[in-house]
Amino acid sequence: MSDLRRKLKIYTPFINAGMQEMSSYRANWLFYILGDVLACFVSFFVWEAVFISNGGESFMGFDKSDMVVYIFMSFLTGQVISSGGTYNIGEEVKDGSIAMRMIKPISYNATFLFQEIGNKLMEIGVIFIPLVAGVEIYRFAVTGVLKFDILKFLFYLVCCVFAYAINFFFNICYGFTAFVFKNLWGSNMLKNTVVSFLSGAIIPLAFLPDVLKNVLICLPFSSLTYTPVMIYMGMYTGYELLFFAGVQIFWAIVFWLLSKVIWKCVINRLSIQGG
Amino acid sequence: MFREIKRALKMHRIFIVQELKRFTEYKGDFLTGAVGLLLAQLCNIIFISVIFGQIPELMGWKYNEVMFIYGFSLIPKALDHLFFDNLWSVGYFIVRKGDFDKYLTRPINPLFHVMAEKFQVDAFGEMVIGIILLSCSLPSIEVEWGVGKVLLVIVAIIFASFIYTGIKIGTAAIAFWTKRSGNITFMFYMVNDFVKYPIDIYNNVVRSVLTYIIPFAFTSYFPALYFLTGENPLFNIGMTIVVALIVMTIGVLIWNRGIKAYESAGS
Amino acid sequence: MIYVENLRKEFKKTIKEPGLKGSLKSFIKPKKEIVAAVKDISFDVNEGEILGFIGPNGAGKSTVIKMLTGILSPTSGKCTINGKDPQKDRKTYVKEIGVVFGQRTQLWWDLPLTETYTVLKEIYEVDDSRFKKRMSFLNEVLELDSFINSPVRTLSLGQRMRADIAASLLHSPKVLFLDEPTIGLDVVVKDNIRKAIAKINEEEHTTVVLTTHDLEDIELLSKRIVMIDKGSKVFDGKITDLKEKYGQMRELAFVSPDENALNALGYAEKFGLSDDDLIQEQDGTSCKIRFNNAIVPVSDMLSYTLSKINVKDINVKDADIEEIIRRLYKEGVE
Repeated sequence: MSDLRRKLKIYTPFINAGMQEMSSYRANWLFYILGDVLACFVSFFVWEAVFISNGGESFMGFDKSDMVVYIFMSFLTGQVISSGGTYNIGEEVKDGSIAMRMIKPISYNATFLFQEIGNKLMEIGVIFIPLVAGVEIYRFAVTGVLKFDILKFLFYLVCCVFAYAINFFFNICYGFTAFVFKNLWGSNMLKNTVVSFLSGAIIPLAFLPDVLKNVLICLPFSSLTYTPVMIYMGMYTGYELLFFAGVQIFWAIVFWLLSKVIWKCVINRLSIQGG
Repeated sequence: MFREIKRALKMHRIFIVQELKRFTEYKGDFLTGAVGLLLAQLCNIIFISVIFGQIPELMGWKYNEVMFIYGFSLIPKALDHLFFDNLWSVGYFIVRKGDFDKYLTRPINPLFHVMAEKFQVDAFGEMVIGIILLSCSLPSIEVEWGVGKVLLVIVAIIFASFIYTGIKIGTAAIAFWTKRSGNITFMFYMVNDFVKYPIDIYNNVVRSVLTYIIPFAFTSYFPALYFLTGENPLFNIGMTIVVALIVMTIGVLIWNRGIKAYESAGS
Repeated sequence: MIYVENLRKEFKKTIKEPGLKGSLKSFIKPKKEIVAAVKDISFDVNEGEILGFIGPNGAGKSTVIKMLTGILSPTSGKCTINGKDPQKDRKTYVKEIGVVFGQRTQLWWDLPLTETYTVLKEIYEVDDSRFKKRMSFLNEVLELDSFINSPVRTLSLGQRMRADIAASLLHSPKVLFLDEPTIGLDVVVKDNIRKAIAKINEEEHTTVVLTTHDLEDIELLSKRIVMIDKGSKVFDGKITDLKEKYGQMRELAFVSPDENALNALGYAEKFGLSDDDLIQEQDGTSCKIRFNNAIVPVSDMLSYTLSKINVKDINVKDADIEEIIRRLYKEGVE
């Protein structure tokens, strides 16, 4: 236990560094978030048009307020669980500094993780609370009932942590593809596109044909956005909740192990071929 | 004037040839980017198709018409992306790292130099989807085509792409003051997601912004409207040209002021 | 050739406060401050001259060079080079100058080196026959032949620097600005580059302005130096003048069998020398003493030393330029 505390102490400066980083590029980051929020509004208006066009009925089980909650919460969840590992590792692979990771006395993944947590604390303060509050006020204004459920919200937060773990390790694994794809921008965008589609960030998976939907739900990506958001919205109950949390934990462990295996291979490759 | 344009075209050709030589070394990379962009558009098309699987019309717009506008919006964007992608780097790192020094010590216009230096073949991903959408949706849309109309399409697309370029020039130039402006460009770019759909599905505020303030509506909706309905060419096409010239002028003015504020980097 | 008058450059800087509170504070409202990097500097450079432009880190050397090359606009003051204003006449002006920044490259990274030259040929509108002549001259001086067909990213630092210098000279500029041209290079490569610069200056009468950290560059290449510190000019003149004016340090070297010779001698107490005026080293039997000639004449030093201990191989040397400058940086110039 004291060992753990000592370890954590080594890494706390990285949380601070992450927060400082955010504050020095604050304007830049705000513009970026604003850009992404705009994309949410595009979906918002398109769905509004859909509900106007079909006379206000529900669309495949979602009514308009569900859809609005889904759009903004899936965006927010995407932000909370995002991880920049792919790009950072890719850069290191490209310029050869990946070899330096072998000689660092502290775990590089951990320093990166803590720096990112610092980033996220800042981010959550700035966008998370206002957006959740906005979504809840909207829901209250439209339906007239307060649907916010603290238990479900807590469960949602826990699922976000699992989702972040999956994403973190998945991104590390994917980062090593830079050995093959030198175009980092392209390969990163390729990944983000595929992941955001498979995770339900573009269309709720419930709208897809059943076969496709069932396949996607078992893949790791639905655990990233779709599962937490559905939990937030109260679409899952009882055993369903536990089942999907189980799926998340399963994938988190898989990617954690996979990242270890890949790292071992990389070390072997580096020590045979040199940087 | 004529000599300068001729020289600029020659230089641009030389830069493109250099870039193509580079691509022969990195073929796989080109595919990654292009496939990525292609898939990104494909996801949105699936999204639209899912919607139209449930409803026959979106506020009066038929599936094919929405697809036509969507496809049309991609082509000027892809053109700008293909030829002037390097402007993104200005806002993300060329200014911040002081690499802009190089352009200032060369006897050609720095804006032209930095714009023309990259040839971004990734853009073919968007271009291909755009062309496919246009050619698939056209047969079911009743319009009469003639040589004049085809020429107008080309003119409209070229000027529409200038709207993108102008906005990129203006927002990239902000980096001369703030060191980084890539994300401002990004924010403006996200606005263009709105105009992939017919803009009358939006409320008045959004519509006015897209028409008067960040006039992306002229890169797709208005010109596409002319080709869909044949109405109002003077506004739909004429204003596209006027707006493109205005945006370009504003962008260049900001750029010219920005260069004077450039602080380079380091000691 | 180059006239600089009261050149000044100010920058706005954001001040960051330390700690979490500081970062939160600067997230909301960053503090700004105006800093003058270059404070009203004036100097001239004659045609065909090699000027060494030196100063400690952060003195403002690069800022001056960037104003002279038209990259930065001065806050006030002006510079005229070959009758042109670098900012106003930028397009015609840059055709007459060559610029090399040691820490940056203007070469096309992914392509064979020769591609860079063919593009630059077009950018600077060099015609075919002149280009051919020029390339063979540059090849001869900078020895590019062995790597001219290799992609730039595979070149060694020394090769890259030679290639960059060649790139800056392709259009036969009248003035060449070199910012740290030997940074990070090994001794042999440095020597090659210095020789090349000297040769180009000699054969083409190219005016050269050179900033460097390596004072050997200056000693071997330029007769005149301008030194700046904290944005102001602190010295302008011949290297010999600098030595005369500030070179009070002399070096006394001798061999003594007594391993405790220096302690036994006790120069500091004897002559009342402070740490700045007396630097002593002993390595086995050989001793080196650097002392301030203005306080203790060489003759006193010699006779005192000889009277105290047995010595062999005694000799006295002038201070070298590096020593002088090290002292100037440390003390500032009054």
